[in-house]
Amino acid sequence: MLKIDNLHARVEGDAGVVEILKGLSLGVPAGEVHAIMGPNGSGKSTLSHIIAGRDDYEVTAGSVNLSGEEILDLDPNERAAKGVFLSFQHPMEIPGVATMNFIRTALNAQRKARGEAEVSAADFLRLIREKTKLVGLTDEKLKRPFNVGFSGGEKKRMEMLQMAIFEPRFCIMDETDSGLDIDALKMVGDVVNSLRGPDRGFLVITHYQRLLEHIRPDHVHVLAGGRIVKSGGPELAAELEKSGYDQFIEAA
Amino acid sequence: MAAGLKDMPERALSAQLQATFSASKADPVRLAAFERFQKTGLPHRRVEGWRWSDLNAALRDFVPANDGVSPIPPSKFSALDPVEIQIVNGRIIRPTGTLPAGLHLDVIPASATIPDLEGNSVVSLTVAMITEALEIRVDAGVKLGQPILVRHIMQCGTMAFVQVAAHLGDGAEATIIETYEDIGAGQGGFYSSLFHSDICAGATLKRRMLQNTNADAVVHAMFAANLAGGAHLNQVGLSTGGRLSRHETLAQYVGSEASAELSSAALVDASRHADFTSKILHAASGCQTRQIHKGVARDKGRAVFQGKFDVQRVAQQTDAQMSADALLLSDTSEAYHKPELEIYADDVQCAHGSTSGALDDDAMFYLRQRGLDEEMARSLLIEAFLGEVIDNLEEGEAPVFRDAIALWLKGQGA
Ligand SMILES: Nc1ncnc2c1ncn2[C@@H]1O[C@H](COP(=O)(O)OP(=O)(O)O)[C@@H](O)[C@H]1O
Ligand SMILES: [Mg+2]
Repeated sequence: MLKIDNLHARVEGDAGVVEILKGLSLGVPAGEVHAIMGPNGSGKSTLSHIIAGRDDYEVTAGSVNLSGEEILDLDPNERAAKGVFLSFQHPMEIPGVATMNFIRTALNAQRKARGEAEVSAADFLRLIREKTKLVGLTDEKLKRPFNVGFSGGEKKRMEMLQMAIFEPRFCIMDETDSGLDIDALKMVGDVVNSLRGPDRGFLVITHYQRLLEHIRPDHVHVLAGGRIVKSGGPELAAELEKSGYDQFIEAA
Repeated sequence: MAAGLKDMPERALSAQLQATFSASKADPVRLAAFERFQKTGLPHRRVEGWRWSDLNAALRDFVPANDGVSPIPPSKFSALDPVEIQIVNGRIIRPTGTLPAGLHLDVIPASATIPDLEGNSVVSLTVAMITEALEIRVDAGVKLGQPILVRHIMQCGTMAFVQVAAHLGDGAEATIIETYEDIGAGQGGFYSSLFHSDICAGATLKRRMLQNTNADAVVHAMFAANLAGGAHLNQVGLSTGGRLSRHETLAQYVGSEASAELSSAALVDASRHADFTSKILHAASGCQTRQIHKGVARDKGRAVFQGKFDVQRVAQQTDAQMSADALLLSDTSEAYHKPELEIYADDVQCAHGSTSGALDDDAMFYLRQRGLDEEMARSLLIEAFLGEVIDNLEEGEAPVFRDAIALWLKGQGA
């Protein structure tokens, strides 16, 4: 479903050009959940932003292919309409933007781009009520401007709310579990497991084994120094949590 | 350095001003005003307070057209069922129906109500040019349910001068909506209005101002308010600019415990220019001022904000806050914001802040990741930026302002 081949990317920072991804290859077949672990600064968020279409990064080589289609030339909203969803590591507060209105506008924009009918106001209200309960937010939170004054955990719940509503085909979750308590972790697991299916893929970026106990990944990859340096089964996650990443930092 | 009229005898505008003035029987007040104006001419960028808004240059090639009579469309505020007064090319047309109890509308000799606003030569010119004024009076204790709508309507290309005086008796409440509109084909025009209000003890005036005129129009609107003890002014203004538009607010607290909430927005595109200038004179104790301004500029638009709080020695326990934010949507757009505090009292709480920047890249990416295209994401963020201004409006008024913003976002501002 998602096939990344020999991806090289760099960014123009304050201190000049920085190479971040240096030949990253990865494949997530439909129906599978893959986890990515790796030390801070190894390029995990960069990878997720590039898949979603952030144009701060310059892709100098390689390709990203979703269900047989090259997506690197598509706009972020075109990718979203094709089912790419990113749960941000640091979700934004957007003052002045009404939460419900925004989510509904986004849902309908995606549907329109796919040639599907808009969701009526009444149906949307039913949908968002149901999913709000699922992710453990209160209706009162929906009445606030988007994420304004939310705790870190509430912002992550808002990401999961949107994932549950959009039902994207390919979900990238960038450290969604960081800073969440046990109950919230379970909720994230529930949202992922309820969406899991033969036509969907997940890329779950995490530092911790805990989330992976709720979401049994099919494969675990280690990203270090801008490359996948090791891949394995779910047992690799447990091993990493014990031994740390030092071995890979040296290797990279 | 004044560019007095005598320095530009070739100008069509100065000839016309002279002719218009001579044709009317001037009383001493108007004569003195005309002399004041002639000494200094139109304000230009070397005059204090006009550095970024050169009215003289904006009118350099202006040749006033004769006014015609194009049909006047219904007001965008008509859903509010207002008491509507049209001022067409400077001529005041009172409503024909019966007025709500406690409201009086009259056309009076202009010089009877002229306030002392020395130092602004456009005001002097306006005083010199007008022979009659609209007077709005609301009796003490009367709370008007219907808003009063004053439509400043200008045939494109013409020149017009207007004066309005409002008097709200003790404890009265009224909403006055002013719109600046133009009609007919063509471009340009010069419109100057002078609005003076007395808000008596405990009275509340809500003023709404929406200026949506052609790209070459020059609009100068001066609003002055005297607030007595416990009086309240709530003002929301929005301008899409013109060749040059300037909206001035000059409020003074003459009684204690009075307050004002002032919010304004300038939306400028193409090579339009909008200026909001204000001075709030705190001359009594315990008054509260809240002022916010938002400027949004794209293309070669220029947004100007000059806000000043003057806090006199007697104005102890003043609580005054001002913020001005600019959003620049292109490299060629400009915003000049100058918030200023002048404080002579010691027991006061005063603050001002100013920000300027482009749309937030992270927010743009976030919205687009969720499926909004660039245009939608941009519009949503600009509307969010302007949200605080709209929040100060009543339920029925907000949609009209929102529509004006939406049209501007689509590039159909006027
Ligand atoms: N926009 C950017 N500008 C400059 N440097 C960046 C930018 N984005 C990422 N980097 C740098 O690239 C490296 C990888 O960052 P990131 O992808 O956020 O790592 P991770 O998510 O694995 O912690 C870091 O050294 C980071 O400082
Ligand atoms: Mg990261």
